[in-house]
Amino acid sequence: MTALVRFDHATLGYGRRVVLSDLSFEIPEGDFLGLVGPNGAGKTTLLRAILGTLPPLSGTVSVQPGLRFGYVPQRDSVDYGFPLKVLDVVLMGRYDRIGLGRRPSRSDRDRALQALAHVGIVHLADQQLSALSGGQKQRALIARALVGEPSMLVLDEPTNGMDLVSTTQILSLVRDLHERDKLTVLMVSHALNEVANYVNRIALTMEGAFRIGSVDEVMEETTLTSMYGIPVEVDEVHGHRIVVARRQRTDATPSHGTPGV
Amino acid sequence: MSDTLTTVLLFKEALYGALVIALGCSVVGVYVVLRRIVFVGAALAQLSSAGIALGMFLYGLGIGGELTHHPVAMALIFSMAGAVFFGIGGGGRAKVPPDAVIGVTYAVAAAAGILLIAKARTGEAHDIFLQGNILGITHIDTLVLLSVTAPVLLVHAMFYKEFLFVSFDRETARTLGYNVRFWNLLLYITLGAVIAYAMQFGGVMLVFNFLVLPAVTGLMLARSMGGIFAIAITSALTAAALGFALSVPFDLPSGPTIIAVSGAIALLAWAGRRMTHA
Repeated sequence: MTALVRFDHATLGYGRRVVLSDLSFEIPEGDFLGLVGPNGAGKTTLLRAILGTLPPLSGTVSVQPGLRFGYVPQRDSVDYGFPLKVLDVVLMGRYDRIGLGRRPSRSDRDRALQALAHVGIVHLADQQLSALSGGQKQRALIARALVGEPSMLVLDEPTNGMDLVSTTQILSLVRDLHERDKLTVLMVSHALNEVANYVNRIALTMEGAFRIGSVDEVMEETTLTSMYGIPVEVDEVHGHRIVVARRQRTDATPSHGTPGV
Repeated sequence: MSDTLTTVLLFKEALYGALVIALGCSVVGVYVVLRRIVFVGAALAQLSSAGIALGMFLYGLGIGGELTHHPVAMALIFSMAGAVFFGIGGGGRAKVPPDAVIGVTYAVAAAAGILLIAKARTGEAHDIFLQGNILGITHIDTLVLLSVTAPVLLVHAMFYKEFLFVSFDRETARTLGYNVRFWNLLLYITLGAVIAYAMQFGGVMLVFNFLVLPAVTGLMLARSMGGIFAIAITSALTAAALGFALSVPFDLPSGPTIIAVSGAIALLAWAGRRMTHA
């Protein structure tokens, strides 16, 4: 399998601050990789290194020549104050192909409509982006990533702040894009339980530690306990794996729940 | 009526100048409002005024020759320096919040401008910076304003989608290979150029008005970027023409009259929006 992205002893960080060190792994063509970790664990740093917007402090991060990323940013990182129709936003995914100083052609618009149809919201093409629901906005941003005909789809926290139904629909859509269109997918999330049941491999990052492997390898109690630093167990409910933290009783704050990871 | 028209036509160069200022400021103002950098616009206007004041102060001392003889040169230097500073995210990484940096710039530039003019041997009344001197615009001044505004409008027409993309979603633009810093800087430079030239005739108040109110009017009424630009330009030109026409026969200061008309147009837009969304 061809490697689309390759880390070779790469150390990532900002200035003198090292966030993740000595990373060596590959993202092969056809992979569906979940990049999981809590806020502040280095997911965004790793993502930027993959996208080429953050050079490594040492080592190398190389991408296959000509590789195109279809980037889906966090839903709230775009500015909904701009009065833009959904179609206008999707067309942005082709801006670099259209070239400097030129306007989108009829063909670009047709492709944008096809991308919207692909994610099931072509009927919303003329709606204001700001008027859409969270799930619809996410689909519009995925359509924008697809219209650029990417080799690899990269989604940053696609289900953040969504309800159960929307979360399931978006994750199923991404899974469909991976299986139906044979797209390589990298999905960033802080919710291990959501990601683990959709992806093929998991990269787990936690306070400087990094582990990557198949879902079976990573969703293993010893591994997760070591990564999270608290005792966790992996249960299976109706074929879905769920990670839960074991109850910890302290003198100061007795625990009453078993929070999911 | 004909007397009014005759009086207005006596100052037709001033009217043309006001229309050019309205056009330039209203176009860049759309980004100023949408990107929520309204006070960057105000700070750049104050920096320009401080530049003009410094030019007058130094010229009075016989320093600087041609550079200080033409106040716009100093206004341009100050405005561009501010545009570059804010365009590359000046102050954003320091412990001081970016809006506080803008506030400090505004306050210090305003005070420096007034102090320099107070001590300048060739100085005029300092309220010229606030109110401007629209009626003093000559044919040459209008041509100079046009020579700055036309290239700025051309840049904005050519690179509309680039400015839009880096303003709407800079992270995705970056992943598609856009040099976000460059496009931001270019946008700020066009803003600085328009403000520097408009400032010396329109004054801080009028320039700030044209940067904000027409775009706000457009934002309230339009449902597309094209719509915002169209409404912003139309409302700015209407306010300039109507305000000017009212100020001459009624012997009112032109700048504040134009601003009052801009405000009235924005108010009408707000009322119209309320009625259609009720």
